[in-house]
Amino acid sequence: MFKSISTRVLQHLIAQNSWANEILQPFAGKSVQFNIALFNTTLVILENGSLAIAGEANIPDAHVTIPPSLLLRLLAKDETARMQIDIEGDTHLATELAKVLTNMRWDYEEDLSKVVGDVPAYKIGQFTRQAASTIKDTGINLASMLSEYWQEENPLIAKKRHVEQFNSEVDTLRADTERLEKRLAKLSQAAADDNKPASKSPINKTDVDSQ
Amino acid sequence: MSNDHNTHFGFKTVAETEKAKKVGEVFHSVASKYDLMNDVMSAGLHRGWKRFAVEISGVSEGDKVLDIAGGSGDLSKLFSKKVGPEGQVILTDINASMLSVGRDRMLDEGLNVPAAQCDAEKLPFPDQYFDCVIVAFGLRNMTHKDLALAEMQRVLKVGGRLLVLEFSKVWQPLSKLYDTYSFKLLPLMGKLLAKDADSYQYLAESIRMHPDQETLKQMMTDAGLSKVDYYHLAAGVVALHKGYKV
Repeated sequence: MFKSISTRVLQHLIAQNSWANEILQPFAGKSVQFNIALFNTTLVILENGSLAIAGEANIPDAHVTIPPSLLLRLLAKDETARMQIDIEGDTHLATELAKVLTNMRWDYEEDLSKVVGDVPAYKIGQFTRQAASTIKDTGINLASMLSEYWQEENPLIAKKRHVEQFNSEVDTLRADTERLEKRLAKLSQAAADDNKPASKSPINKTDVDSQ
Repeated sequence: MSNDHNTHFGFKTVAETEKAKKVGEVFHSVASKYDLMNDVMSAGLHRGWKRFAVEISGVSEGDKVLDIAGGSGDLSKLFSKKVGPEGQVILTDINASMLSVGRDRMLDEGLNVPAAQCDAEKLPFPDQYFDCVIVAFGLRNMTHKDLALAEMQRVLKVGGRLLVLEFSKVWQPLSKLYDTYSFKLLPLMGKLLAKDADSYQYLAESIRMHPDQETLKQMMTDAGLSKVDYYHLAAGVVALHKGYKV
């Protein structure tokens, strides 16, 4: 039942986004498994360039894995997060399908117009867009207000420049530690060589000092 | 008579030569009430299963489709809309009574779907002719399923696909309920609605004798089809298999 309904929804979306057919058709018969957070599904590309949910015995040609942490960044439209999506198998296929799914849009006004008519559908669409925009703006304002409060008034979260400075100091400390480790190793080696009776090569003090 | 030449007819064992005749009698008997009984037996679900099969087929405008054991023409009607005027759908059935129901319906709907009475084990079509071949609720009635699948594979183009929509093995926790429905309620409905309890008893028995999902997948692979996948529909009461000719 789930597969049947999902397939119908996918095919309806593809029919509304006919540009996707041309992109998908060369991959007909291939399938991609998406593991997104706790949810996983396999999509198969049909011969007419449409999509369906794969059956029980399908062996995917590619796997796309998006952990929950990455999903949040992707939802926030973080472009660098895209580079971190784990793709295995036919990467070209997975990339093209992901591109189609990302750019596909549901023309809900068109669907609504078949039920209530063109003009009411347009009005409902307009209202929905305005409402969504208002909710989005309010959300952004609220988030920035809270972030300012927790950074300035009642410090609870770190400022970006403080985090960057801390990261830079950690990097410097790591580099210093590595250098110190090398110097100690060299000194230990020199001391060991000194204690050997057969090979009495003197410690090259200038080498150590130069470190 | 050697056991090698016997086959199943429901739970009975009959000579291979007799099976087609007996199946023919069953479908001749139920032809006029076939659609009504399908709706009653499946609570209308068979329409959704058929629509799903058409969606999964990937058939587009201009394609050639062969509907085997198409009977009353439900699938041919759906496919003819998909392939458009440039495409071609051929409705076939071994049973003249069933085929005439389908042919008349196509004519009544104004659809240009040729109807041909033929045996799926000896298809009268050239090699590599169809983009899609479908057999819905027909394979289990065929005497030599392996020969029929091989014939379907033969008439497919390279890249073409075979779809088999058929009753299958139901999800185990529901099997007792399903048995009660099949062997008690189904013949009773057949008696009341179609005045033919025996034919519906045969339908229930033939469903049980049909291979399960994995076995049919293997049979399709053996017939030369690749990438065979299947879908459970209604908890496995029905399965849709799809395989490619490569």
